[in-house]
Amino acid sequence: MKMLCRSGRGVRKLSEYLLEMKGIMKSFNDNPVLKNVDFDVKPGEVHALMGENGAGKSTLIKILTGIYPKDGGEIFFDGQSVEINNKNDASKLGISCIYQELSLIPTLTVTQNIMLGKEKRIGGFLNKGKMRKEVVELINRYGFHLNPDANVESLTIGQRQTVEILKALSEQSRLIIMDEPTASLSSKESDALFEIIGNLRNNGVSVIYISHRLEEVYRLADRLTVLRDGVREAVLEKDEIVPAEVVRLMIGKELKHSSQSNEFRVSDQPVSLEVKNLTRKGVFHDISFQAHRGEILGFAGLVGAGRTEIVRCIYGADPYDSGQIFFEGKEIKPSIPANIERGFGLVPEDRRGQGFTPLLSIERNVALTNYDTLARNGVVNAGAERRLGNEMVEKLSIRPFDSQIPVGNLSGGNQQKAVVAKWLSRDMKVMIIDEPTAGIDIGAKDEIYRILEDFASRGTTVLLVSSDIQEIMKVSHRILVVTKGAIFKEFSNGRITEEDLMMAEFGIDEEEAEKNG
Amino acid sequence: MGENAKSGTASGSFKKLLKSPRLWILIVTIAVLSVLQPGVFLTRANMISILLSISIYGIMVCGTIFPILLGGIDLSVGAVAAAAGAACVVTIVNHDFSNPSVLTGVLFGLGIGLLVGLAHGIIVSTFSVPPFLITLASQYIVYGIAQLLTQNNVIACMKPATFAFLGGGRPFGIPFSIIIMAVMALISYFILNRTVFGRTVYAVGGNVEASRLSGVRSRMVIIVCYMFSGLTSALAGIVLASMNRQAIAKAAQGYDNFVLTALVVGGASLMGGEGNITGAIWGAFLVGMVSNGLRLLGIASEYHGIFKCIVIVAAVSLDATMRYRKSGLQRRRRRKVSVS
Amino acid sequence: MDESPSPVPVITEVALIMKLRQESMRRLISIILLAVMMLIFSLTNSAFFTVSNLLKVLREASLSGIIAVGVTFVIITAGIDLSTGAIVGFCGMVCANLLYYYNLPWQEIFLISIAVGTACGILNGFIVTKLRVPEFIATLSTQYLYRSMVFVFAIRENNVITNKKIESYPVLILGGSINGFYLVSMAFILFAVIGQILLKSTRFGTYVYATGANRKSAELSGINVDWVRWRVFIITGFLCGIAALFQMGRIGSVTTDMGTGLEFDVIAAVVVGGCAFSGGRGDVFGSVIGAIFMAVLQNGILKYNFPTAVQLIMKGVVIVIMVIFDSIYNQYVQKKIQQAVQNEDAVQIRKGGAEVV
Repeated sequence: MKMLCRSGRGVRKLSEYLLEMKGIMKSFNDNPVLKNVDFDVKPGEVHALMGENGAGKSTLIKILTGIYPKDGGEIFFDGQSVEINNKNDASKLGISCIYQELSLIPTLTVTQNIMLGKEKRIGGFLNKGKMRKEVVELINRYGFHLNPDANVESLTIGQRQTVEILKALSEQSRLIIMDEPTASLSSKESDALFEIIGNLRNNGVSVIYISHRLEEVYRLADRLTVLRDGVREAVLEKDEIVPAEVVRLMIGKELKHSSQSNEFRVSDQPVSLEVKNLTRKGVFHDISFQAHRGEILGFAGLVGAGRTEIVRCIYGADPYDSGQIFFEGKEIKPSIPANIERGFGLVPEDRRGQGFTPLLSIERNVALTNYDTLARNGVVNAGAERRLGNEMVEKLSIRPFDSQIPVGNLSGGNQQKAVVAKWLSRDMKVMIIDEPTAGIDIGAKDEIYRILEDFASRGTTVLLVSSDIQEIMKVSHRILVVTKGAIFKEFSNGRITEEDLMMAEFGIDEEEAEKNG
Repeated sequence: MGENAKSGTASGSFKKLLKSPRLWILIVTIAVLSVLQPGVFLTRANMISILLSISIYGIMVCGTIFPILLGGIDLSVGAVAAAAGAACVVTIVNHDFSNPSVLTGVLFGLGIGLLVGLAHGIIVSTFSVPPFLITLASQYIVYGIAQLLTQNNVIACMKPATFAFLGGGRPFGIPFSIIIMAVMALISYFILNRTVFGRTVYAVGGNVEASRLSGVRSRMVIIVCYMFSGLTSALAGIVLASMNRQAIAKAAQGYDNFVLTALVVGGASLMGGEGNITGAIWGAFLVGMVSNGLRLLGIASEYHGIFKCIVIVAAVSLDATMRYRKSGLQRRRRRKVSVS
Repeated sequence: MDESPSPVPVITEVALIMKLRQESMRRLISIILLAVMMLIFSLTNSAFFTVSNLLKVLREASLSGIIAVGVTFVIITAGIDLSTGAIVGFCGMVCANLLYYYNLPWQEIFLISIAVGTACGILNGFIVTKLRVPEFIATLSTQYLYRSMVFVFAIRENNVITNKKIESYPVLILGGSINGFYLVSMAFILFAVIGQILLKSTRFGTYVYATGANRKSAELSGINVDWVRWRVFIITGFLCGIAALFQMGRIGSVTTDMGTGLEFDVIAAVVVGGCAFSGGRGDVFGSVIGAIFMAVLQNGILKYNFPTAVQLIMKGVVIVIMVIFDSIYNQYVQKKIQQAVQNEDAVQIRKGGAEVV
C-alpha cells in the first residue's frame, strides 16, 4: 500500500537484475544480524541462498517480504527503488514466498484455492468453467501435473506445494522464494519439484532457493550466495559451486583450524542407555547407540534430519515401530511417568508449545515434575514448593527474582532456565535436551552449558540435540551425526574441526570431499 | 486472585482484601439493592433466603469449575441434578421411606453423577470432540433418564426425617444446604490449592502437551475432573429434591446457565487454566443476590435471562478483548518501528 | 514425473472414482444409515411406509430442516448456534402478541417475524465477531436472552400468561397442505435448494468454506472473515423467523416454550448430515438428509409407543455417536493422507491428486 516509487532517484539504466538489495542492515536489540548485505537476483535464474543457522538468511527474506522492517539499505526491484512495508507491498511487486507451513484451504479444490479471493463471476454466481479453464491454462503453461478438481486435502505435501506455487504464479509473481521446500518431501516428490523449478526458470520466473541440502543446490542453482554472520561471504557462479568449497565458505576459511572440538573419546564409565535398531516408519530407522554415565552425547545434524523425533521416542513421548531401548541393562517400554521415575528428563525443542505452562508461575512450573518429593499423600507441601521455586530462581539467576511470576511473561532465556529447572533438583540419570539455546542470549547460554556439564559430572547421561555447530562441538564428549533419519557418522576420538562436522551433517564423506576440494 | 493473597501479615492481607475489586462490587451491589428496597433486602431473613437459593448453584459450581479450568465445559449439570434427585427419591419411595434407603438413595444418585462424568471424561479425553457438544447431548440423555425414573410424574417424598434434613435441616439455625455448600467449597478449595491433583488441573488446562512431557497423566486428570463435576451436580440435585420434598424431571432446568454465569463472572476463563473457587463462589453469590434483588423489585425470574446474557457477554467479551488488545499492542508497536 | 507430460491434465477414471469416494463417502454413510433405518421400520411396522406417513415424516423434518440450512453455514465456518430454538419462540410470541392486541394484517406479521429473526441473527453475529465471544457461549447466553423476551411479549390476562388462538387465516394456512404435501415441506425444499446453490455456486459460499477450514489463510487471501461469520448468523436468524411462521400456522397458537429444544434437533440434523465441528466440511444436502434421518427416527419411535423420554435419549445418543464417529473418521482420513505422503512409490505423483481415501 505504502509502496513508494521514487522515480527521480530510483530509475537507473535498465538493470540486468530483477532484484537488488544493497547494504541491508538489521539488528535485534543492538545485536547486528545483517551487516551491510548485498544480494541480487537476475530474471529467470535460480539463486540459492546458503548459510549456517543464524547467518541471517531468514532475516534477509523476511525483510524482502515485508515482515521485518530494515534498519538500513535499499531494495531495487526491476531497477526501481521500492519500499516493502508489509506482505501486500511484496505481493504487489510480484514477490511471493512458499512457506513450509502451507497456507491452503484443505477442503477446497485446487481450482478454488488458486482462485481464492479473485473468483470469476457471472451475475453473482461463480463462473466455475472460466475459473477452471484459467487454472488448467496455468497448469499447462508451466507443465505441471495436477488435477484442478482434486480437493487439496487429498494431495501429498509435494502436490500442495505445487498448488502454492501456482497460486503465486496466478498473482503474476516474478520472484518466488522457497524456504527449505524439500524438507518434508519424498525423493520422488523432490524430483518433481526440481522439474517445476526448471519450468519456472524457462518461463522467466526467478527463484530464491534456501536449502541446507548441498546436492540440491548443486543441481539447481544458477548462482549461489553464501551468508556468514550477517555478511555476504561470496557469490558463486554455477561452475564455481563445489560442495566442499561451499561448506568452507559457510564456516569461514580462517576459522578452519582455530575452532576445534573437545578431545572426543568413548567414556570408560558403564553404559547407562542403549538403543538398538530403533525405527519409526518414515521418520528414522535403525538407530543404535550406547550412551555412558556422565557423558554428554551430542546429536548433530540438519533441521529435519530426525534428531528430535529420536530423542522424543527414547523419552517415551512418541511411539516407535520397532527396536529396543535398554536402561541400565534392562529393556524399558515407552511411558513418560515411568521414565521420569527412572530419572529421565526432557527439555523439549518447542519451548513455548511443550516446555512450560505460560499462565503458571515459575514455582508451579518447576514443581510440576517434583511432586514426588514436594507432596505427601497427594497433599502439596507449599513451603517446600516455595523453597524449591526460590532456590531455582536464585541458582539459575532467573530474572526477575520472583518465583511467583508467570513463566509466559519471562524472556526466552529465562523461560528456558525455568524449563531446565524442572529437572535440576532431581537425581537425573538420563537428561535429554533439545536445542537448549535456540533464541536465547549469550549469558543464558553459558548458564545452560554450565548446567549440562554439572549434570555430566554428577554421572547423568546427557543427550544433547543442537543445530549450533560450535555449541555441540564445545559441549559434547562424543557426537553422533544424524542425516535423513539415520546415524551417518560418529565422532568418538580425537579432535575435529567445524568443517569435519558440517561435511558430515551435509552427508558428505570426507575422503570424497578431499578429492573434490 | 484470592489464593494469591497469602503472603504477608494479617494486616497486609486485609489491605489486599480492601483493594480487591470483588469486595467493592459486592458492597456496591448490596448498597444499591438496599437503597432500592429499604427494609426488605438487607434483612436477616432475606440474606438467608439468598444463601438458600444459591446453595444449590454453589454446590454445583464447586465441581463444574474443574472442567472449565481444563478449558472444557459441562452443560449437563442441570440434567444430572434432576436425574440424581429423581434416583434418590425413587429409591426411598420404593423402600417405604425407610432410613437405610436414604443412604442407598443418596449413593444411587451420586453414582449416576459419577457415571455420567466418567462417560464425559472418557469421551472428551479419547476423541477430539468439542466438550460442550458432548455434554449438551448427554444433557438430553440424562434428562430422558430422569423422565424414565419419575415416569413423568411429580413424586412427593416427605419422609423420612433424615432425607428432609439434607435440604431442610437447620443445625445451629443454619440451613444444612448452606453447610453442604460450604463444605464442598472447602473441599474444592483444598483440592485445587493444596493437592498435587489441583496443581495438575491448572497445568493441563494451561498446556496439555507440556504437562504430558512433565509426566502428568493428563487423561486421568481430565476424567477425574468431569467425574467430580458430575458428583457435585448429583449432590446438588439430591439436596434440591430434599429441599422441595419431591422429585420431578424438570427440577433443575436452567441451572446450567446460572452455574455458567457464576463461573464466568467469577473470573474463570473459558480457555482454561485460569479461575479459582473463591471467585466462583463469589460469582454465585453475586448472581444469586442480583436475582433476588430483581425478584424483590417485582421482576419475575423468567426475565433474568436478559440480565444473565448481558453479564456473560460482558465478562467474556472483556476477557477476550483484553487478550486481543495485548496481542494488538505488540502488533502496533512493531508497525511503529517499521514506520520509523 | 517419469512420463512425458500430457498437455491437459486428464481426470482418469480411477481419479474420478477416488474423488467420488472422498467427497461423498461421508454422505453415503448417512444415506445408508437412513435407508437401513427406514427399511427396519418398514419391515417391522406396516404403518410406516405409506405415502401419508412419509409426507408426515417430511413435515416433521421440515421445521428443524429449514433452520438447519442456516446452521449448516454456521457450522461450516466452525461456529455453532444454540439460540435458534429461542429465536423461533421469540418471533412467534412477538407475532402472537401483535395479532392479539393490534390485529395486524398478515403481511405485516410475516415481515415482522422475519425481521425479528434477522435482528436476533444480527445480534448473535455482533457478539461473536465484534465482542469476540466464542460462538457457543455467545449463542448460549443469547438463548437465555431470547427466551426471556418470550415472557416479555407473552399475552397475559390478570397477570397470568394465557394462550390465545391465532385467528389470522393466512398464518394458519401455512400449517396446511396441498394434496397432503405440506407447505412447510415445500418451503424446506425451496430453502435447501437456495442454500445449496448459495454454498456451492457463489463467492460467499466459497468464503464460508475457507473461513471454516483455515481462518488464517482465508484472511491472508483477502477475505473479510468476520463479515462472513456475521452473515451466516444473519442467514440463520432469517430462517428462524420463517420457521416461526410455519410453526405458528401448524400449532395455531404460541406458548412460552415454543421452540424449546429445537436448536438441539437442528444441530442433530446437521451433525448426522456430516458437517464437521472443526469447520470447512459438509453441505446443505447432507443436513437435509440429517433432518429427515432425525424425523424418521422420531416417527419410528412413536410408532412403537416408546415414552417420550426414550426419544430424548435416542437423540442424545445419536448425536454423541455421530460426533465421535466424525472425529474418528476425520482422524482416519488424515492418517491415510499422511501414509500416502510417506509412501514414495505412490502413483499419485504422476496422476496428480485424488488418490487418497
